[in-house]
Amino acid sequence: MSAYITLTTPMTDEESLLAALAELGFDERKVEVHASPVELVGYQGDRRTQTATLIIRRQHIGPASNDIGFVSTPTGYKAVVSAYDRRAFGPAWLSKLDASYQVHWHAKQQRLAAEERRHLEAERQRVVEAQRAAIHERAQKLGYHVKETREGGTIRLALVRRTY
Amino acid sequence: MRLNIARVLCRSAANGPGERFVVWVQGCPLACPGCWNPDTWSFAPRSLVEVTALAEEILGTPGIDGVTFTGGEPFMQARALAALARAVRERGLSVLVYTGYERDELVGRAHRALLEVTDVVVSGRYVEAQRSTELPWRGSTNQRIHFMTERYSEADIEGTAAVEVHLETSGRVVLTGFPSADLVQGVLVPDSPASTSAGLHRPRSR
Repeated sequence: MSAYITLTTPMTDEESLLAALAELGFDERKVEVHASPVELVGYQGDRRTQTATLIIRRQHIGPASNDIGFVSTPTGYKAVVSAYDRRAFGPAWLSKLDASYQVHWHAKQQRLAAEERRHLEAERQRVVEAQRAAIHERAQKLGYHVKETREGGTIRLALVRRTY
Repeated sequence: MRLNIARVLCRSAANGPGERFVVWVQGCPLACPGCWNPDTWSFAPRSLVEVTALAEEILGTPGIDGVTFTGGEPFMQARALAALARAVRERGLSVLVYTGYERDELVGRAHRALLEVTDVVVSGRYVEAQRSTELPWRGSTNQRIHFMTERYSEADIEGTAAVEVHLETSGRVVLTGFPSADLVQGVLVPDSPASTSAGLHRPRSR
């Protein structure tokens, strides 16, 4: 029975890690995602004491391989890899995985930032529109005629007395 | 030659005839009670700009009819403003000056130099007891409009905006002109959405 070893990684984001695994050949069909840790299985079908939430079953790795797991920790996922599989899925593979992870993580940050900007812009437009409507209403009640023009993003409301 | 200014507004229809570039100068000795721009009273340097640079900015603003000097007290910086007025008039723009002084108080050489290149002067202290939002271009009924050239006349007053609100992309609200208290409330009342913005330019009071 091949012993399991644990390798620390700096990867913390599940979505980016799954995208990186997919890029290295382990797409969503080959990676189990569990809400709570599940036991890993050895090459002889034996249940091991090690557990993980992200698991690549041995069938997807090689005929004599053991499951590979990832355990989430606050400082980053820990990879649980058997001594046997360490040759192919050890530090060098994890280094490639991390490089891919970084690309996906940065892309995700940019996507989130763009979504945040869109959200803030929508909120700003909502506030400006509410201001505009409130000023129109108040001005008309007070006897002003409102001329509205737009330049770039700025709205100009010129309030003209109906009669002087 | 430099000017001490409080702020500018590149385009306004509520500070004289047509579309105007508005310059609020910094510093006023009159301190009229009830003035809406007390932040412009101090003579301490606020924003010092070269006359030539400001003239370039004004002349680079498309579609304006002229420039309006207000404040603060423009005649406290009459020499520099006269130079600025000359530069913009040479390119066809008109000049309107708001002053808290009465017309007959403007007798100094620098005062005359500015008056010579001014098309319209609106003169007189802001008198809170005579406050009016019914008069075009003026904050209180004692103030007077003097047409110094033939470029404008009483006919140009009709249809002029009394108040202007700019809702800027930054969220800043600029309010300028002569709003009634009710209208200001509409922009500033805490429950109003407009009050969520920062950087309100309070309206000129004279």
